Amino acid sequence: MDATLCHVTEDEPGVVVQDVWRSFGSVAALRGVQLSVPYGQVTALVGPNGAGKTTLLLILATLLTPDRGQVRVAGLDTAADPSGVRARMGWMPDVFGVYDQLKVREYLGFFAAAYRLDRAAGAARTAELLSLIHLEEYADRPVHVLSRGQKQRLAMARALIHRPRVLLLDEPASGLDPRSRLELRDTLRSLAADGVAVLVSSHILSELEEIADRVVLVTGGQTVGEFEMAELGRQGRVGYRVRATDGAALAAALASRSADSSDQDSAEVALPPMTEEEAADLLTGLIGAGVRVVAYEPLYSRLESAYLEMTEGRG
Amino acid sequence: MIGHLVRGAALVAGQEFRIRLRTGRWRWLLGAWVLVLAVFTALVDAALSSVHMSGARGVPLLGILMLFVLGLVLVISPALTAQSVNGDRERGTLATLQITRLTPVQIALGKLAAGWAVGLVALALTLPFVGWAMAEGGLTIARVAGVVSVAALLMGVVCAFSQALSALLARSITSALLSYVVVFALTAGTGIAFGVLSPLVAEHRPTVGSYDETISRPDRIWWLLAPNPFVILADSAPQLPPRVVEGPDGRTYVRPDDPLSAFGQEVRRIRIPPDTASGSSAGLIGDEWAVWPYGLGFDLLLAAGAVWVTARRLRAPSHRIPRGVRVG
Repeated sequence: MDATLCHVTEDEPGVVVQDVWRSFGSVAALRGVQLSVPYGQVTALVGPNGAGKTTLLLILATLLTPDRGQVRVAGLDTAADPSGVRARMGWMPDVFGVYDQLKVREYLGFFAAAYRLDRAAGAARTAELLSLIHLEEYADRPVHVLSRGQKQRLAMARALIHRPRVLLLDEPASGLDPRSRLELRDTLRSLAADGVAVLVSSHILSELEEIADRVVLVTGGQTVGEFEMAELGRQGRVGYRVRATDGAALAAALASRSADSSDQDSAEVALPPMTEEEAADLLTGLIGAGVRVVAYEPLYSRLESAYLEMTEGRG
Repeated sequence: MIGHLVRGAALVAGQEFRIRLRTGRWRWLLGAWVLVLAVFTALVDAALSSVHMSGARGVPLLGILMLFVLGLVLVISPALTAQSVNGDRERGTLATLQITRLTPVQIALGKLAAGWAVGLVALALTLPFVGWAMAEGGLTIARVAGVVSVAALLMGVVCAFSQALSALLARSITSALLSYVVVFALTAGTGIAFGVLSPLVAEHRPTVGSYDETISRPDRIWWLLAPNPFVILADSAPQLPPRVVEGPDGRTYVRPDDPLSAFGQEVRRIRIPPDTASGSSAGLIGDEWAVWPYGLGFDLLLAAGAVWVTARRLRAPSHRIPRGVRVG
């Protein structure tokens, strides 16, 4: 094991972004963004379109310079040592260009060599990754016969070819079928379990919920929130929907708890935002009052409601 | 260090060459290329055999053929590399290359080598026709090898600046168009500039009487013609042994029946200031007046600068946004 890598792992998170600014002409894409991505966890970068997610990822991927601020990836400054960062960082862009005319094995073999793996190590790593992304039977087929999901997996394998300590993914799940998404989730979880610092940007919140350990919310080029998924579940408030067989009984029971939000004797009622504890108390009360509840569920996911709450006041 | 540079460049070149070979209808294009050359060579050969010639037919045949091949080379070369950087940007494949451990110089040289190699394949296909000319006699191996290598080098020069334009400009249509403009400037442009400027550099000498004598001084601007690929090809062709011919007036003089030498001699004559004794006893203008070393040197410097520009534009992190990437 490389001594410097050990040192780096203990010392600081995989990605440290401090007060980074970047504008394109008159458009300010990043305005003092902060971010840290610890090793061994999946961090989600969440924000609306135009929040600066892609700009930030391009800066982390050593492709773009910030106007100001400090960016460290895998313990190295991206401005001072981009080549050192590249040796330890993998990046999967949202538009993944692949060379259609190459065979899958040739494609990965080329990138193995481009990352200075010798021939034997490159071939071994290629075989390993082909099995990880379930493309072994396509190894000698040209890339253009692959489906979109398969190409995305190939792009993922490319990003992993040199065993990066930091992995950056820009909108990895867009356009993937449900099965591929589940596989993506499993791959990212196992990478994190191996100690890789994973950063995933997305605006599809429902899928991040299962993948991410931590969420960083950005909007308007600024970090507006940073929290653990577990803590989000305990503290976040979200509206609920309840449905019972008898609308009148439900309305009466809710009225007695002054929790009603509707004066109709409807069988289905939307409830105001509650924490998980409050929601559980209410449900226990309803059932105790003899209401025959058939459905009781949050209106949004925990992440969605936090996101809406955070971005609401910011315009 | 050098070994490392070459290994990376060779990796990129191999990859690019493989992709190029697998795209496009090379078989048809190269087939058409060979067919055009075959028809052209046959026609020139037939034409040469119908006129009275003293000496072997191979010399003029090679000269005409190579000037024709150079013309074709100048037409196809920009197309070989005019998309090699901005095309990759559009497809989104460039950024994935830039974040590997490959250096910008390796990427630039590798891509250039791949485009040039495709051109060299086409040039190699002209060799059978060059062999045809050799079979007609009168040629030396040195002359043939010299002419073909210069054509190959000039092809590399065009590929290099065409690639630099593709690194500088976002759209491949624009870069291809501009590459052709540069080729035009090097060929026709140099000649036009020379023609237009000639009267301006003429010398006026007072004479007896009221009029000045105007002496044409093309030797002041001969260097304008030097970068012209045709001038370089013609002037660099190794000289053939002079031939002595009985002229109609009974004098002996040399008449090269070779378009390359004739053209080369013409350009060398331009370099010689008036009132200068020049030429060997055999009547040929010697290598001390050669134009091609300056022209080829200039063009190679242009190519080196183009590689430098390309590498600079491939440097990352850069301040400009990679094209084709959505910012959000």
